[in-house]
Amino acid sequence: MKKIALAALTIFALLAVTISACGTPAPPPTPTSPPAAAPTPVAEATPIPEPVIGTTYKIGFAPAVTGGGSFLGVPERNVAEIIQASLDEAGGVTGPDGVIHEVELIVGDTESNPDVAASLARRYIDEDEVVALVMGSLTPISLAISAVAMEAEVPYVSMASAGVIVKNPDTGEVYHWVFKSPQGNLEVAQWQVERLTAMGAEKVCYMYENTGYGKDCFNNSSAQLTAAGFENVFEGSFERTDSEFPQVPGIEAAGCDVVIIGAIPPGAANAHVAIRTALPELPIMHGHGVCVADFITVGGEPMEGAEMPCSAVIIAEDVPADDPQKEVFMGFKSAYEEYTGEPVSTFGGHGWDALYWVVEALETLPEGLSLAEQRSAIRDYIETNIVDWPGTAGIFTLSPEDHAGLDYTSFTWFIVEDQKFVPFPQEDW
Amino acid sequence: MQRYLGTKSAKMALTVAAAILLVAIIALLGYRNNYGPKAFAQWTMDGIRGGSIYALVGLGFVIIHSVTGVINFAQGEFVMLGAMLCASIFELDLPLPPAVKLVVAIVASVIIVTLVGILLERGAIYPARGAGVVTLIIITIGATIAIRATALIIWGTRAKIVPAFTNLHQNDLIFRPFGLTLGAQSLWIWGTVALVLCALLYFFERTIMGKALRACAVNRRAAELMGINPSRMSLLSFAMAAALGAIGGVVFGPVIRPQYDMGLVFGLKGFVAAIMAGMVSPLGAVLGGLITGVAENVGAGVTGLYGYKDLIAFVILILVLLLRPQGLIGGEERGVEQS
Repeated sequence: MKKIALAALTIFALLAVTISACGTPAPPPTPTSPPAAAPTPVAEATPIPEPVIGTTYKIGFAPAVTGGGSFLGVPERNVAEIIQASLDEAGGVTGPDGVIHEVELIVGDTESNPDVAASLARRYIDEDEVVALVMGSLTPISLAISAVAMEAEVPYVSMASAGVIVKNPDTGEVYHWVFKSPQGNLEVAQWQVERLTAMGAEKVCYMYENTGYGKDCFNNSSAQLTAAGFENVFEGSFERTDSEFPQVPGIEAAGCDVVIIGAIPPGAANAHVAIRTALPELPIMHGHGVCVADFITVGGEPMEGAEMPCSAVIIAEDVPADDPQKEVFMGFKSAYEEYTGEPVSTFGGHGWDALYWVVEALETLPEGLSLAEQRSAIRDYIETNIVDWPGTAGIFTLSPEDHAGLDYTSFTWFIVEDQKFVPFPQEDW
Repeated sequence: MQRYLGTKSAKMALTVAAAILLVAIIALLGYRNNYGPKAFAQWTMDGIRGGSIYALVGLGFVIIHSVTGVINFAQGEFVMLGAMLCASIFELDLPLPPAVKLVVAIVASVIIVTLVGILLERGAIYPARGAGVVTLIIITIGATIAIRATALIIWGTRAKIVPAFTNLHQNDLIFRPFGLTLGAQSLWIWGTVALVLCALLYFFERTIMGKALRACAVNRRAAELMGINPSRMSLLSFAMAAALGAIGGVVFGPVIRPQYDMGLVFGLKGFVAAIMAGMVSPLGAVLGGLITGVAENVGAGVTGLYGYKDLIAFVILILVLLLRPQGLIGGEERGVEQS
């Protein structure tokens, strides 16, 4: 038996190391429907006798298609395919001098692994000579890529939400080459503070998933809530694949007025169902990671009454016509749903915004710039010209001090009613 | 002193003292954090629910190991396959009333997973039957990764939904005895495990096939001399283990939204249960699974270290392997001669 024990222990250790080191090997299925015509094609060049074709612009694009971040990465990859198809159809972008440049999106997979992401970024920069990077669905991955981008002086737009990606939390210094397109957890926390004040809650229980996103949610929310005078009486983490929730009796014993969950589906839905089943009266709030139809379908009936801040793109048809984001919403939603046959994903929207910043910047580049000059010009464009820019996540205004460009008003507060996301305006709180 | 500690009664005394200390610590923590008996009861109940599935997985480990000497790390994947297949088949558009469709889905998924188990044995284990045990174990680890990758390709990363058996609805019927939360699916799980145990007992005690399996487990060479075909017994053990895993997955499916990578955790914790049984005792595997489930749930709940829930199961594993590698329950007599 001792031999078996030794063998088992060895195997066990090997298994643990293997699992932690490797991501999942195979990529998930890609949507089979062919790309349909996409919105906002690039403007036609003014008619000239023979179109001059300039250098091809390459953008390095790598979401987390496999691994723990695939829930965000797969919609982002779909968006890249949609935009590549529309760029190909338009023949590329046209510079101010009339020269047409093809745009090639080099699509990779970070496997939700920061090391893979960093080496992928290196390869894009050195071998593929990209003009910009749009990568990183999750925060730890984005931090790894950001280090590479800063050192190589390449503009990098992250699709992850944490504020620390663009700004050093200790010194407040903004990273020169790094931008991000999603709303941050700080903005989510600010909305939560407003809602809790209106609710008259005093004690808060916090549940978060054991990932970079969940911990960032928790850090931001607890900081904002404590500063606003609420008391955090319970904090519990959980894994995406958890089936038992021993935190629930703890929440009951802590006696809080509201539970805030910082996670993405299906973990967020599982936790919500567990808490709601045991404590039917306790209000439950979420972050902006759950703004997808999947969240409600996976959870089912107990999801009624869940509240969360989301971008209004999920109800694009109901947005009033005079809203500056309406056109972007409708364009993105219809393109996405037509290409994939699935409901729109706000995570895909982060990829949409990021890529269109870069594409818009490319349209201003004259032919004949060196690679370093191109990269620098794109960076400058994004920093100065993305002002009052309607995107899927909000209306962006970037500046040298703010590389994220959104505040918490870019969100709309939603509540789940009749198994749908319904806007819950402040007047009705 | 050494001789004193080595005696059986001294070991017994130490074990009892350790148990009392553990209970005292738990009680103290519970008192400090204001957890009443209701919380402990809830944790224990949920722990028994999860532990039942670990028990089924552990049973699979024990059956395969006692007959072939192989530790089949793909056990957990059978659970995942059972749950995912059941969900997928139930989602198909068949012209049947939902209850019948569910029964069809369950039966079909158990059969398919059994076939996968047979395929694993014939395709990967049987050709390598001359190799050492460690080689075969590594082959099963390779199988785990392959099955999980295939599941990712087939189903993607989205979670599936298995309807609760009671109301055939996504959300289960909830009972509230004494203020606790008891899902109706938990009753199904316990009933299924009890039924499976009875069936296994009958199989091993009363049928020729079962007795042949036991003979193979006790002494393979002697069984061979008696006319029992060991390779057929190996096939049968894998098929049974796969079926057990699939049943566990199917009945646990409504409790958790199955995902392609849920198998790993079940496999490892079922392994803990099997180790506690010394890898030979089916009853030990069931008790080990239940103990693991309760220990990790109560441990995580009372200490507040929710992120370390899995750690508790593995601490138990390491302690058992270090202190009593022949298993806690029913492993004392290890009269096996593996060929």
